Amino acid sequence: MLSRVADNLYWMSRYIERAEGMARMIQVHQSQALEYVQNEQQLKEFWSPVLQSICAESVQGDGHDIKKLGHALIFSETYANSIFSCISFARENARMVRDQLSEELWLELNNMYLSFRDQDAEALYAQGSDHLLDKVTRFSLVFQGLADATIPHGEGWRFLTLGKYLERADQTSRMLDTLNLRTKESTRADLMSVLSCCIALSAFRQQFRGNLSLPNVANFLLFSEDFPRSIRFCIRSIDHILHSISGVPTGTFSNEAERLTGSTLAMVNFTDWNQVKAKGLHETLDELQSTLIEIGQYVFETYVLLPSEIKSLGERSSAQFIQAQQQQ
Amino acid sequence: MTETSQFQDYKTENFFDEMFDQSESLKARFHYDKIFQRLDRLTESEIAERRQQADSSFLEHGITFTVYGDDGGTERIFPFDLIPRVIPESEWSVVEAGLRQRILAINLFLNDIYHGQKIIKDGIIPKEIVHSSKNFRPEMVGFSPPQDVYAHICGTDLIRDENGSYLVLEDNARCPSGASYLLENREIMKRAFPQTFSGMSVRPVEAYPDLLLRTLEYLSPRKSQKAVCVLLTPGVYNSAYFEHTFLARQMGIEIVEGKDLIAIDSHIYMRTTQGLVQVDVIYRRLDDDFLDPAVFREESMLGVSGLMDAYLKGNVALANAVGTGVADDKVTYAYVPEMIKYYLDQDAILPNVPTYLCWRDSDREYVLNHLEHLVVKAANESGGYGMLIGNRSTAKEREEFANLIQSNPREYIAQPIISLSRHPTFCEDGIEGRHVDLRPFILYGEDIEIVPGGLTRVALKKGSLVVNSSQGGGSKDTWVLREF
Repeated sequence: MLSRVADNLYWMSRYIERAEGMARMIQVHQSQALEYVQNEQQLKEFWSPVLQSICAESVQGDGHDIKKLGHALIFSETYANSIFSCISFARENARMVRDQLSEELWLELNNMYLSFRDQDAEALYAQGSDHLLDKVTRFSLVFQGLADATIPHGEGWRFLTLGKYLERADQTSRMLDTLNLRTKESTRADLMSVLSCCIALSAFRQQFRGNLSLPNVANFLLFSEDFPRSIRFCIRSIDHILHSISGVPTGTFSNEAERLTGSTLAMVNFTDWNQVKAKGLHETLDELQSTLIEIGQYVFETYVLLPSEIKSLGERSSAQFIQAQQQQ
Repeated sequence: MTETSQFQDYKTENFFDEMFDQSESLKARFHYDKIFQRLDRLTESEIAERRQQADSSFLEHGITFTVYGDDGGTERIFPFDLIPRVIPESEWSVVEAGLRQRILAINLFLNDIYHGQKIIKDGIIPKEIVHSSKNFRPEMVGFSPPQDVYAHICGTDLIRDENGSYLVLEDNARCPSGASYLLENREIMKRAFPQTFSGMSVRPVEAYPDLLLRTLEYLSPRKSQKAVCVLLTPGVYNSAYFEHTFLARQMGIEIVEGKDLIAIDSHIYMRTTQGLVQVDVIYRRLDDDFLDPAVFREESMLGVSGLMDAYLKGNVALANAVGTGVADDKVTYAYVPEMIKYYLDQDAILPNVPTYLCWRDSDREYVLNHLEHLVVKAANESGGYGMLIGNRSTAKEREEFANLIQSNPREYIAQPIISLSRHPTFCEDGIEGRHVDLRPFILYGEDIEIVPGGLTRVALKKGSLVVNSSQGGGSKDTWVLREF
């Protein structure tokens, strides 16, 4: 498969997963704020750790109105992680690899994009933000279902799945991190929010029988064996996929991405809450996030770049100039 | 409910109408009869439903083109009209023979121009005309491309004049586009009018991607193994990007950008996740200028440095060959009938539109004195850009063109304003006549193959003669009927 195609599939699926995470994050926090926030000062305090965890401090809307902040996180064209931006990027990547996608997959993504472009999404948002946010979440889940059900599980699918799990691990770690960034001790509502953001509420209840505490929540989201959004589950999936791409048996490695993933997997497999607590939850999550970024970078270097090019990154020409030439 | 007729207010006026003969009583030509009956009985809601189906199908499937000029290029659908153009077999067989003859002559001309230049030595075409063409590539002189074919894919534009005679408007021998619309339009029409379609025994067009792939594979320098063919696209912002992905997918070949390819030791490789893979044939949808920054435009980021070297050493084939543009220069175009006579010793089956060449003193004088009655075109523009339609121009525009012609006569030609044939088309106020042309696609590989019909383009603006998609044109499906 063309290296560029692999790269496009990987990013397409990352952006879709990111849009989904964003949609749920906005939804959950908006609803929590309705119940627990009484004045503007509280509102600011409430959103600040959330924005910090997703590196969105700059998107303050006008800083007062919840509705406006939500609007910016969904529709902003300047904020690169807004839902609209994510969907546009995903579609742009998909457009370059149309031949790799099933018709169903493309239609799903293109329709979502069109509804944003044609203001249908705005109209839906005006009726109540939940309508739109539900639609985004549902879109992502349908898209992922279609990706599994309608395209061959060959190399393209593997890169697509790799993107999904890397992004998901990152999202989960960021949601968990909001608990650290709050100045006060986590309340019951905060813990519930984090679980909801990861669609983990019912799975958590099954395992812990309603014993809602920071150690339990962190334990679950970091180390759950079988919950598909836990860090451990995601890293294990990444490890598996990387090895199925290279054909090298698990437990060994043939490139840096595999080595780093393997060692991170060993870490999450053989760590428990006490170690995390000793090190600090925030520090643990911070390190995890850096590692995930590094893994992504190594995948790029291994499969997309030629060895001679790895050092010359950065010399990329301006996108606009390229665009002008393509129009000939 | 009263019986309504879609065509009750239809007027052919003084044009050649594809569907109706010239008589007063609005009688459909024999080959149009069935579709006429069907359309005439349609109710407004049936029409609206079918149009909506077609439009949303195009948009959802991303069958779009990009309009330049706006920020970042805006994607639009290429408007599609539900009334098909119908061509009877007897008419098509003449057109087909004419197109075959033409592509043969053009290829013989290209071969000659890049080798002995006999046609120049024999005084048929002036040397300056050939050598001053922007698309004459000195790099190609003395080089023989695989199988000695230059223009493998040609999209010749045909029009019909007021008598219904087919004329060649131009030969697109570089990178003609539109084949994907031809295929998609057919899919939509089969869904919109299944019964009428099957009742009229329309010749299928679906073989195009297979024929194209065979044409490409035929060029492979490595005969010992299955050819690795790729489609080289300028990228996702190109107006025809949809078509590039469409054709690549239909052929099952990789669609690559310049940065996906690399030249090593005069061979071309594509970068894959499993390492480098050697490429044999490149179907390039990129102008010569951008192909290789080491040889042509230095600032090109779309091409592959070293591609020309690999090509000239015979290690990779290009379709079309480099330098075919010299044949679709609008000045060279004027000489195609002479080429046909010279190389094939035949008379042209499909005549040209009479053309005045501004580099000739007498022609130029005539053109400058009659601008109001002529269409003036830049010799190397396409897509309906760089053109003046005399009777629709302002005095100021004519003055501008007069200056352009005088300062660079070689680059301008003029033709009489042909009132193109019209075709019934759904418009805002019901069905009205709109001007159409026809772009058949000719493939020249081991054999010459032409899928029946081609892309019928229609000027949707009332009275407009410009059918290009960038200028408000749309398209129709084209039905060539089997002999019945």
